[in-house]
Amino acid sequence: MIKKEKHTRIKIVFLIAIIALMLLSLFSYLRIRNLIDESVLVNHTQKIKLELNKTLSILQEVESNQRGYIFTKDSVFLPPVDSARIILTFHLDNIARLTNDNQSQVQNALQLRTVVFKRLDYLQKMLNDAKISNLSTQRFLTGRKLMSEVGNQIREMEKEEDKLLQRRTSSMNKSASLTPLLTILLIIGSILILVSSYIKIIKELRISDLLKLNIESTKNELELTNKELAFQNKEKEKRAAELIIANKELIIQNEEKEKRAAELIIANYARSLIEASLDPLVTISASGKILDVNEASIKVTGVPRESLIDTDFSDYFTEPQKAQEGYRQVFKKGFVADYPLTIRHKNGNQTDVLYNASVYKDDQGNVLGVFAAARDVTEQKWAKDLRIANKELAFQNEEKEKRAAELIIANKELVFQNEEKEKRATELILANKELESFTYISSHDLQEPLRQIQNFSSRILANEQKSMTEKAIVYFEKINNAANRMQVLIADLLAYSRTTFAERKFEIIDLRIIAEQVKSEFEEVIEVKNAKIEISEMCLTNVIPFQMRQLLHNLLGNALKFSNPDIPPHIKITSSIITFVQAPNISLNPEKEYCHISITDNGIGFEPQYKDRIFEVFQRLHDKQKISGTGIGLAIVKKIVENHNGFITATSQLNEGATFDVYIPNN
Amino acid sequence: MKTIFLADDDADDREFFEEALKEIDIQTTLTTVKDGAELMTVLVDNLLDPPPPHVIFLDLNMPRKNGIECLKEIRETPRLKNIPVVIFSTSAYPNAIETTYSLGANCYICKPNSHQLLKKTIETVLSHNFWERNQQLPKDKFLLAIS
Repeated sequence: MIKKEKHTRIKIVFLIAIIALMLLSLFSYLRIRNLIDESVLVNHTQKIKLELNKTLSILQEVESNQRGYIFTKDSVFLPPVDSARIILTFHLDNIARLTNDNQSQVQNALQLRTVVFKRLDYLQKMLNDAKISNLSTQRFLTGRKLMSEVGNQIREMEKEEDKLLQRRTSSMNKSASLTPLLTILLIIGSILILVSSYIKIIKELRISDLLKLNIESTKNELELTNKELAFQNKEKEKRAAELIIANKELIIQNEEKEKRAAELIIANYARSLIEASLDPLVTISASGKILDVNEASIKVTGVPRESLIDTDFSDYFTEPQKAQEGYRQVFKKGFVADYPLTIRHKNGNQTDVLYNASVYKDDQGNVLGVFAAARDVTEQKWAKDLRIANKELAFQNEEKEKRAAELIIANKELVFQNEEKEKRATELILANKELESFTYISSHDLQEPLRQIQNFSSRILANEQKSMTEKAIVYFEKINNAANRMQVLIADLLAYSRTTFAERKFEIIDLRIIAEQVKSEFEEVIEVKNAKIEISEMCLTNVIPFQMRQLLHNLLGNALKFSNPDIPPHIKITSSIITFVQAPNISLNPEKEYCHISITDNGIGFEPQYKDRIFEVFQRLHDKQKISGTGIGLAIVKKIVENHNGFITATSQLNEGATFDVYIPNN
Repeated sequence: MKTIFLADDDADDREFFEEALKEIDIQTTLTTVKDGAELMTVLVDNLLDPPPPHVIFLDLNMPRKNGIECLKEIRETPRLKNIPVVIFSTSAYPNAIETTYSLGANCYICKPNSHQLLKKTIETVLSHNFWERNQQLPKDKFLLAIS
């Protein structure tokens, strides 16, 4: 392919070169033709001019002779007008022939002929008149005028001829002026093409030489390899022949082995079948000794194979004589069918069987022994009972299916109820959100006017006391007290609602940290009341931190608030992880761990019958004038404990302090 | 001399604050504004004359621009971001406390309900010199002192 392409390229190059050379020749030929044409034209013009000059000179010569004759009347000067007419006619004819290629010149020539002969006629007439008389000056003037007409005509024609020549040669020159340039360009082009194609051809030749060399060496190598391969081939053929022989041998051995294997498989298979049989199978010799047994026989007698073989067959039956009678019958008849016997197990168990037996013989037909198979019939007895039981079960099954169908209906009902509950839950979430925003309003908008009341009343009490009556002062104090109570109430209500609605994030917290913080919040009261607070054995547990804090705050606050005015308060806070506790009115899960927080005080306590009531909202055991409070604190505590899935109990006797026990699951 | 700004829409509360401040030993000048928008105008326009306040007391519920918006703007403006801001609100709603602290409030106090308590509170807050050490007081420091 590549080679072919290269060849075509070379061909094209040469074709171009040839075309260039042909163009070159064509140009040269045209140029020469041009030059020849030019010279012919010039020649032509010169000839016309010559003829014209001759015409004029002949005419002038005749005229000069005429003048001579008129002056001298000497016949020597008598001009040869007739011969001049002939010569002039010859020349004028020449002119007419030469100029017949040009229409204007033809006209001019005719005109010239007319003027020339007119002059000649007049000259003849003057000569004739001169012979008779003297000629007037007028006649000479007319002669000169005619002569100048001839001259004019000739000059006209010469001019015309020159013009023609110039026009023709200039057009030729124009075309000829490009010729040398083109010629040079073509020559250079041809040279370049020839040189480049020369280089190309040389290169090609070199490459083809190299290729030839390569092919030659490859050829040699291939010949060598071929010989080698041929040798190897022969070797392999030899080996193959040997292998074929070996193979045949192997196939024969293989077939032998397969045959043997097949025989073994059949034997194995037969043995497996015998072993797999649930019926006890046994072969017995003519003397009644056991020759072989299967697994079922071993099972039914409870005696191992080795102990069974070579012992008396009849030994393993409840009635040995009946057994002996049985196999004797077989030897006699050749077989027995459904012969009832009872096999005795080593451990005393008995199995009712029916024996089927026949003799077996060698190739020559000699009896070798008996092959006996026992069918256990106890199972058949069972089967009857089982059928009855089955019916009962089928009936129960139907009942259960009915029950299942009922359950499916009940389930659907439950799913429906569930959906309803989910709807209700969504509604509750919405309601909760509304309540939360209400909480925010109460925390701000309710407190604002209240604070103003407090502020103004306190300002009045501080600054305007002098201008007020005693009564007015008392009233303002009451206003102030009422406002303060309301503020506490709002704060407590907020805290209560927060324990219900706020997010519940459990964290593992060291209760000691919370207890210490809460204690520090009561610093002032502790100092005033000279209280002693013991925080001991605090543990880590999983709680909602801010709620647990609120819980301890309320419980400790209560312990301080309800103190005995005569004794400084002594409060103990402890917490520990417990697994089980015996406590009245609460039921802890014995499998769970609990965090037990206990707060004990030595305050005024309460009567035991109130131990549950105190946890209800707005429940107060004391006069609010004596002890301030809203009756919400313990309700909040209860709620927090419930949020933690825990329990709280209060134990107290009036004036003997109180103990609050909190149990929170420790997850 | 410490300069204090108070932004509160309640005229009475502004008056209480002014009266309480007068009775405190610390030398102060108080500038009061009626809402958040006015506060921001004063802070941005008059930053150099008068000089920026030493501390701003900021109410939360205000018309035009509330306290949260003001706090956010103050903390986002490079020239203002280091001015201590004390939230001064009627409400002790936990969400409000969390939000203002996360936005960089230095202290949150509940408006006290008596002249004496207000005086004491302002005194304590100013004694913390926020302008010298840029610190955040514990979230519930004054909430509990008041109730």
